[in-house]
Amino acid sequence: MSISASNEKPTDRILIVDDDEMNRAILANIFEPYYVIDEAEDGKAGLDMILSDKERYCAVLLDVMMPNMNGIEVLRELKKADLLNKIPVFLITAEANNDTLHEAYHLGVMDVILKPVTPFVVLRRIDSVVELFKARKVLGDRVIQQDIELLEKAQQIIELNHGLIEALSTAIEFRNGESGEHVRRIHDITQFIFENTELGDGMSSEEIQNIALASIMHDVGKIAIPDNILGKPGRLTPEEFEIMKTHTTQGGELLDKIPQLKDSGVYSYAYDIARHHHERWDGRGYPDKLKGDEISIWAQVVSIADVYDALSCKRCYKDAFPREKVVRMIKDGECGTFSPRLLEAFFSVEDTLAGFYSKKEETA
Amino acid sequence: MDTEKKQRLHDAGIDVADALGRFMGNENMLEKFLGKFTQDKNYSALVEAFDKGDPEAALTASHTLKGVCGNLSMSALFEILTEQVRLLREGDFDGAKALMGSITEKYTEIISVING
Repeated sequence: MSISASNEKPTDRILIVDDDEMNRAILANIFEPYYVIDEAEDGKAGLDMILSDKERYCAVLLDVMMPNMNGIEVLRELKKADLLNKIPVFLITAEANNDTLHEAYHLGVMDVILKPVTPFVVLRRIDSVVELFKARKVLGDRVIQQDIELLEKAQQIIELNHGLIEALSTAIEFRNGESGEHVRRIHDITQFIFENTELGDGMSSEEIQNIALASIMHDVGKIAIPDNILGKPGRLTPEEFEIMKTHTTQGGELLDKIPQLKDSGVYSYAYDIARHHHERWDGRGYPDKLKGDEISIWAQVVSIADVYDALSCKRCYKDAFPREKVVRMIKDGECGTFSPRLLEAFFSVEDTLAGFYSKKEETA
Repeated sequence: MDTEKKQRLHDAGIDVADALGRFMGNENMLEKFLGKFTQDKNYSALVEAFDKGDPEAALTASHTLKGVCGNLSMSALFEILTEQVRLLREGDFDGAKALMGSITEKYTEIISVING
């Protein structure tokens, strides 16, 4: 309304339900300057009007003793329809005996006002509640809107993070003379294996997303490897290989220095994968010579994905191998040793993984 | 409504100022409902209910009449009817019937003032 804004044409609507003409006229006369008034002559008619448009009324004034459904019965129906917490209902009654009062309040009536009414009292009591409900609704709508905006912002930030991580990793791959496709495929292979084999059993989809995102950063340490080693065609000397091996530890150190990453669910996976994706099941990998299940399952998966991708594509030191040769080399342990469990899971989906490579560009 | 009529209504037990307040100062509205009061069937229904010995009909009529009297600030009549409704609710039919004398007296006085 309302009382405060009485110069404006009223838009808020009140329903008066009373079988007595004079009661309706008195109430209508009081509220007319501030509200649009609808009237119903018995309980059933009033209930139908409320139910036919649940947004229509900002308050209902309800008589108790009426033919064709009394006020308490109307309250019961409104309670059933879960409307009493959305529309304030006021009982306007001549006799407020205890049983009636008790049931009315128990059902959720907003207030009970005694007849004969005193205009300024009834006006003020109802207006305060209407204002309260309106404020609450506006506030509720605003909170919902803000929640939606916050979620959208959070989603944008997550997408931006992914973009930055991919951009950084791709930049490093470019130095390596490769396209950005490598990190993208490692991400996809890692995610696919965890989503489609028993290795991912018990993992939430969020956990798998984090691992896949972390896999993108497995080679970030290569940023610290000199160009002449990183881009060298053919075999590295033992000294050069020692330097090359430090991309694992340097990768871990680099990730460790990004405070925003340390706070996220990706960090522990990213650090572990960067440092340990060259460990071997037989303990002859680097840098920590971890053995068997000392190597986390995500580092193991990224490790096999990395080997598979390297073999399947042309590199500065080699051509792409045909799929049959790639599969045989991994099975024969020519490119590292992997756990039987990992190999089994990997080859159970290798058919699909092979489809990640478009024949024209990537495979021989 | 002239001052003299207001005074006569007041003398018959109607708190005119209070009633006008309820009608937000609208004298036409008050006069309209005072006029309707003379046509109201509840008083005769009340008399008939006691004649027939029908407590339920008596309660309905007494309660409704009481509501009308309350709205019109017929304080004296309202108070007696309030008492009658209370007795009828408690099941004291004879006690309620005993109030009919003073109810009729007040009612008749008011009707004649309104009509006069």
